[in-house]
Amino acid sequence: MASHAKAAQKFARQLFAMSIVDGAVSADRVAGVLEYVEKHNPANPLMVLKAYRRLVAAELAKSIAVVEHAGAINDAMLAAIAASMTKKYGRSVTATARPSPALLAGLRVQVGDDIYESSVAGQLAVLAASV
Amino acid sequence: MLSPLIILAQAAAPAADAANNGAAASGITKITHDFGLSLPFFLAQVVNFCVVAVVLWKFAFKPVLATLDERNRKIADGLRYTDEMKAKLEAVQQESAASAKRAQAEATRVIEEARKSAKEFFEKQTQETAAKAGDILAKAEQAIELEKKKMLAEARTEIARLVVETTQRVLSKELSEADRSRYNESAARELTNV
Repeated sequence: MASHAKAAQKFARQLFAMSIVDGAVSADRVAGVLEYVEKHNPANPLMVLKAYRRLVAAELAKSIAVVEHAGAINDAMLAAIAASMTKKYGRSVTATARPSPALLAGLRVQVGDDIYESSVAGQLAVLAASV
Repeated sequence: MLSPLIILAQAAAPAADAANNGAAASGITKITHDFGLSLPFFLAQVVNFCVVAVVLWKFAFKPVLATLDERNRKIADGLRYTDEMKAKLEAVQQESAASAKRAQAEATRVIEEARKSAKEFFEKQTQETAAKAGDILAKAEQAIELEKKKMLAEARTEIARLVVETTQRVLSKELSEADRSRYNESAARELTNV
């Protein structure tokens, strides 16, 4: 069973590699991969598709900056954050806003697995951890 | 045996009569005649006496003397045995007394050694007990100190949590939208410079 999972992971990575164009996930390529899997029905197709979906989602998350905010935020702020992240990661990053009253005040930006925070709740948590 | 003696005496009697009759009476013969001492009869009596003496010696005195000697020998042996036994008894009594004395001395020595060993053991046990009690006390003090530190840390954590929670509650109520907006702008500026 472990060998099947390894084989499925490896195949999914190969399919994912074929889905990247200019450092970004291409929708056309993803459609082509899905068509191929549907047509050729490889071994353990469910495992392969789940692994492929995880890889694609992780890659897409790297191109989206989720900006959690408490209080008002305008488009200029979002644009500035998106430009900063694009410059930092070297790829196109778009910013989306998500209200989060738990922050009390300030912003928390998540790009993929990276989190950048400047909020009152975060500072209080740091204070509580340091005591 | 007597018949030859009697015949000899009868033969000697006429010769003696002839001698008496023939010779003048001397003093000795006068005495022997007066006391009726006749040589043949005297010789016969002497011989008879000797025979009786020999017979008595051989068949009476000798066994009796042997018996007496035997008895005396036995008495002497008995007395000697008694003396020897007395000497042996005395020697054994002396040996017994000496053994009892040695045993008494040995017992006294053993008792003294046992007393000394018991005393040393008691002192050693006392020291070990005191050391163990000291160890237990030290460990108890360490445990109390650790518990105290743990409680202080828990109290500090709880206080911090309460402070943070209270601050969150206060800020969530007290912060105005304008304050939040200003904070968001400041945060955006900070994040764009990351």
